Amino acid sequence: MSEPVVVARQLTKVFASGAQEVHALRGIDLVVNGGEFLALVGPSGSGKTTLLNLIGALDAPTSGELSVLGTSLGTLSRRERAHLRLHAVGFVFQAYNLVPVLTAIENVEFVLELQGVGAERHARAVTVLDELGLGDLANRRINELSGGQQQRVAVARAVAAKPRLVLADEPTANLDGDNAEVLMHLMRDLRDRHGMTFIFSTHDARVVAHAVRVITLVDGRIANDEEKPGEAPHEIVAGRGRA
Amino acid sequence: MAWVAGRYAVRSVRRNFRRTSLSIVGIAIGCVLALFMESMNRGRDELFARAATYGGSGHLRVVPAGWRDTRESRMRLADWPRDIAAARALPGVATATPRAHADVLLAMGTHVVPVALTGVDPAIEPATNRLVRTITNGRYLRPDDTGTIVIGQAIADRLGVGPDDQVLASVVGHDGDIAGAMFVVVGIIRTGSTDLDASLAQVPLADMERFTGLRGAGELVLMLSDWRQTDAVRAALAPRLASGDDVMTWAEIFPDFKGHVAQDQATARLVSAIILLVVVLGVTSAQLASVLERRREFAVLSAIGMSGGRMVRLVLVEALALGLAGGGAGLAIGAPIVWQFARSGLDFRAYLGTDYAFAGTLMEPVLYGDFGWWIVPYIFAVAIGATVVASLYPARFAARSDPAVALRVAQ
Repeated sequence: MSEPVVVARQLTKVFASGAQEVHALRGIDLVVNGGEFLALVGPSGSGKTTLLNLIGALDAPTSGELSVLGTSLGTLSRRERAHLRLHAVGFVFQAYNLVPVLTAIENVEFVLELQGVGAERHARAVTVLDELGLGDLANRRINELSGGQQQRVAVARAVAAKPRLVLADEPTANLDGDNAEVLMHLMRDLRDRHGMTFIFSTHDARVVAHAVRVITLVDGRIANDEEKPGEAPHEIVAGRGRA
Repeated sequence: MAWVAGRYAVRSVRRNFRRTSLSIVGIAIGCVLALFMESMNRGRDELFARAATYGGSGHLRVVPAGWRDTRESRMRLADWPRDIAAARALPGVATATPRAHADVLLAMGTHVVPVALTGVDPAIEPATNRLVRTITNGRYLRPDDTGTIVIGQAIADRLGVGPDDQVLASVVGHDGDIAGAMFVVVGIIRTGSTDLDASLAQVPLADMERFTGLRGAGELVLMLSDWRQTDAVRAALAPRLASGDDVMTWAEIFPDFKGHVAQDQATARLVSAIILLVVVLGVTSAQLASVLERRREFAVLSAIGMSGGRMVRLVLVEALALGLAGGGAGLAIGAPIVWQFARSGLDFRAYLGTDYAFAGTLMEPVLYGDFGWWIVPYIFAVAIGATVVASLYPARFAARSDPAVALRVAQ
């Protein structure tokens, strides 16, 4: 059994909305082990993004305990949380959220540069883009890429620094079926090769089919936590994504 | 700032072409106005220095020790020939001339006028005192003259004398007795200023010594080839002077004059500061709009691990790029304007007339700006300084943004 990557105990998150309080998470107990490929599902407003934000140290819980990669997030300063995100957590967003004025490879290099990677930064970025089938598009500006290509660049940016944990918030929401399939295969492949832990939220049943473990959130609570007995088959698909 | 982050910052500046262009134009206009004010300031400094010095006081004046406190006209230098030789040996000293002063009464018949009579070296004096070059009637003193005098037009009018007339000069001699001497008027000076024309009266230094019974010179007046070297030449000259003699700058001799210059400069710099404040507020507004537009982008940068400090630096590099562009534009616009200002000047004759005098000194009615290599570092320092200051708040805003909130709002 791998070491736990995420441990949450009675995790709650309450947002103030004017005079009202919105309970986004209501006592989440969760353990995610290293190398898991976990899908968070549930209706809109069920707390999927909030939970990802808490695990990614983007936000702080209202109560409860949360430990990521052995570090308790409750006591971390802004700077320490930024350091944790930079060195241990990769993010993939629904809307890609790449830096539009940079090229594909510059977007990937940016993270490595922030990490302080020196001379080998460019070579490492090239390797990651090749691995995701984007070698030929490395010097293209972001607005010259299709949605599927942009999301693969986003994945490349997330995994370039070889984080132990990758969080993806509805990564296939803006992709068509084929590109969604390709992306899921790539993420599975990265997990297999590099031992990364993937947690992603989704509404897409086809995407859920790739998950090894599926947690269903309803109204801020875990309604179901299902681990599949055998992993879904997948193949190496680098470079197969449609333009 | 690292390489990719630098490229990101520079390309971000180009992202909104219209806003960036307007910001650059605003910075450039602010820089040009500040440059013009600074050029005027430096020009005014030079104008006052020139007026004060060419009016006869010199850039430096060697005086007897203690003169700076008493300003007593009867005091004489300890060893003026040694002092003048030391001064003339220094690089940067264009001319050095001796003078002696005495408070005398000039009389013609029943008319009496009190004047500060000056004994001069007629061969050198016109080189240090442009006022004595404006002889409108008769001639100036000659080196071989004896018993001659030149006087200002106002004195001549009050006494009712002209060239070849004789005037009686009376003074309290060195022994306390009243001494008198006759001088022949050889020239009338008309400076253009009635005040100055009422105070100018010069005789040869040798006549002054005989007349007052006080031997030697009361001061040495030094003109420098570059007035900006005043303090440096003073420092070099002071230890070479005879014991008991002192050296003063024109600013020390005319403290009111220097105070007026300082007041004018402070006012001009206040105006420059107000101009720059308006520019800073404009750039702050534009930079804040730019940061607000990119809230999601900054949230993403924060999510991928960029620290607040790095984000501040990123925005400041953008400001640096903006400042460089604004400074370059300001230099392109401002340099020809300031060059023309330095060449043609601003003519205040219509407002001041041609005989405007301040603190007993005739002022030129045309103010010339200063133009030189200093404008390049000046304009870039102003542009970059203003832009960086203007970007501090937007930078802090970007760094303090909550990534979770920004991403939630953006989705």
